[in-house]
Amino acid sequence: MRANFIFSEVWIGLRRNLTMTVAVIVTVAIGMALLGIGLMINAQVGSMSSYWSDKVQVSAFLCKKNDPFQACKGRGAVTPQEREALKTQIEGMPQVDRVFYEDQQKAYENFKASYSSNNVFLSIVKAEDMPEAFRVKLKNPDEYKPVFDVLSGMPGVSFVSNDKQLLEKFFGLMNRLRNAALIVAVIQVFAAILLIGNTVRLSAYNRRRETGIMRLVGASNLYIQLPFVMEGTIAGLVGGVISAILLMLAKVVVFDGMQSYFVLSTQLGWSEVAQVITLTTVVGVLICVLASFVTLRRYLRV
Amino acid sequence: MIHFDNVTKVYVNQNRPALDHVSVDVDKGEFVFLVGPSGSGKSTFLRLVLKEERPNSGAIHVAGKDLARLSNFKVPHLRRRIGCVFQDFRLLPNKNVYENVAFALEVIGKPRRFIRKVVPEVVELVGLDGKAHRMPDELSGGEQQRVAMARAFVNRPMILLADEPTGNIDPATSIGIMKVLDRINRTGTTVVMATHDAAIVDSMRKRVVELEDGKIVRDQSRGVYGQAY
Repeated sequence: MRANFIFSEVWIGLRRNLTMTVAVIVTVAIGMALLGIGLMINAQVGSMSSYWSDKVQVSAFLCKKNDPFQACKGRGAVTPQEREALKTQIEGMPQVDRVFYEDQQKAYENFKASYSSNNVFLSIVKAEDMPEAFRVKLKNPDEYKPVFDVLSGMPGVSFVSNDKQLLEKFFGLMNRLRNAALIVAVIQVFAAILLIGNTVRLSAYNRRRETGIMRLVGASNLYIQLPFVMEGTIAGLVGGVISAILLMLAKVVVFDGMQSYFVLSTQLGWSEVAQVITLTTVVGVLICVLASFVTLRRYLRV
Repeated sequence: MIHFDNVTKVYVNQNRPALDHVSVDVDKGEFVFLVGPSGSGKSTFLRLVLKEERPNSGAIHVAGKDLARLSNFKVPHLRRRIGCVFQDFRLLPNKNVYENVAFALEVIGKPRRFIRKVVPEVVELVGLDGKAHRMPDELSGGEQQRVAMARAFVNRPMILLADEPTGNIDPATSIGIMKVLDRINRTGTTVVMATHDAAIVDSMRKRVVELEDGKIVRDQSRGVYGQAY
C-alpha cells in the first residue's frame, strides 16, 4: 500500500470538489454540534436530577407579621399553638420521611448562602423579612399531592412550595430544547448523507478515466475505493473538529452562563464535554464513511 | 494460455448472441489476429478474457485459471497478468509519459524504487526514450499509442490484448506500432490483437482467427485478412 499515492489522490479529489466538500463539512459540523448539544443537555439534566433527587422537599412557609399572602390576610404571625399543631399533623402523615423546622434566623442564613454574590439583594433583605418554614422531606417525592393539599389548608400557613414541581418545569424546558436539537441534528445528518452521496458521484465522474485504468491494470477494489472513502472521512473529520469547537463554545457560553441564572444547577464538567465531543466526532466520521461506501457501490463499478 | 470451450455470450435485451459456441485455444507466446467486421464479436471476446463480462455458457480458462470459478475478489490479480491497449489510447491527460506508465504500477502497490527502475526501461522498449516528460497532448497519435503499450507491458503481463490499436493511426505509423507489438511478443508474451487493418494482417503473417456473427469462420496459422475485403 502506497500511502503517499493514496493521499495525493485524495488531495486532488478534495480540491476538485471544493464547494461540495465545504458543503459536506458545514452540514456535518452543524449536525454534530446539535447532536452534541442534545447530549450535553441530557447530561446536564441527568446530573441535576440525581443531585436534586435526595434534596427535593415540600416547604410550608408560615405567616409572619403583615404577611401579603392571601392565606395570612387579616391575621398576625403564626401562633405557637398553630405551629405545634402543624408539626404534629405533618409528622403524622404516612408519606413524610422527616420534617425540619426553620426559624427566621436560619432562613436568613440559607438565603445569604444562596445569594452570596448578589450584594444589593442582601443589603435590602433582613432576617425578619424571612418566613419561618417547615421543610418536609418525603419518602417518595412523586407522592407530594396529599401532603401539599393538607398543608395548603392549614391555618398559619402562608404558602406551600414543592421543589419537585419547580424542577419539573425546568427539566421540561430542557427536555424540549434537547428534543429540538436532536430533531434538527437528524435532519442535518440526512442532508449530510445526501450531500456526501452527491460528492462521491461527482468525484467518481471526475475520476472515471483514472478508475477505468486502475480497473484495467488490476488495482484492487480497496485501492480504487479508498481515495473516495478517504475524501468522505476527511470531510467528516474536519466537520467533527468544527463541531467540537462549537460544543466547547456552547459549554463556556451557554451551560456555564446558565449558572448565573439558575442557582440550583450543577456544573457540566469538561470530562462530560470531552465524551460528547468524542462521540459526535466518531458518529460524524462513521456517517461519512458509510455514506461514501454505499454511494460508491452505485457509481463506481469495480 | 487462453482457452475458450463452447463459449456463448448473449447481451441482455439482445436476441442474437455476440459469441455463438466459440471454441479456440491460444498457446503461450502466440501472436493471434482476431479479424472480422464490426459487431462480429471481437471486443466481446477480449472482454470475456478480462472477465469484464461473463459468458452465458461454456468455459473460459485464462493463464491456467477457470474464470467461472475465479471470485470477484481475485479478478484484479487476473488483470495484472493481462495488458490492454485500445484504439483510443486511454492515457491520463494530466500526467506525462513517465507518470502515465508509472501509474499502472503505483495503483497495484509496487514500491517506488522498482517503479523508477522499470519504467524507463519500458519507455525505451516502445521507442519513446527522451520523451518521458512530454504530456500526452504534445505527442502524435502513434507516440500516444506507444505510451499505452508501455503502460500495458510495464508489469510484464503474460498476455497482451490489443483492441484495434492502429484504428486511429495512419498506415506508416502503424508499422512502428506493429514492430513494438512484435517486440513484446518476442519476450514471450502472448498477443491477441483485434483489428480491421487488412494490410497489417497480411504483412505480419501470423495466426488469424476470423469471426462473423459471433462464430469462428476461419482459424488459420500464417494467414491473411481474407479475400472478401
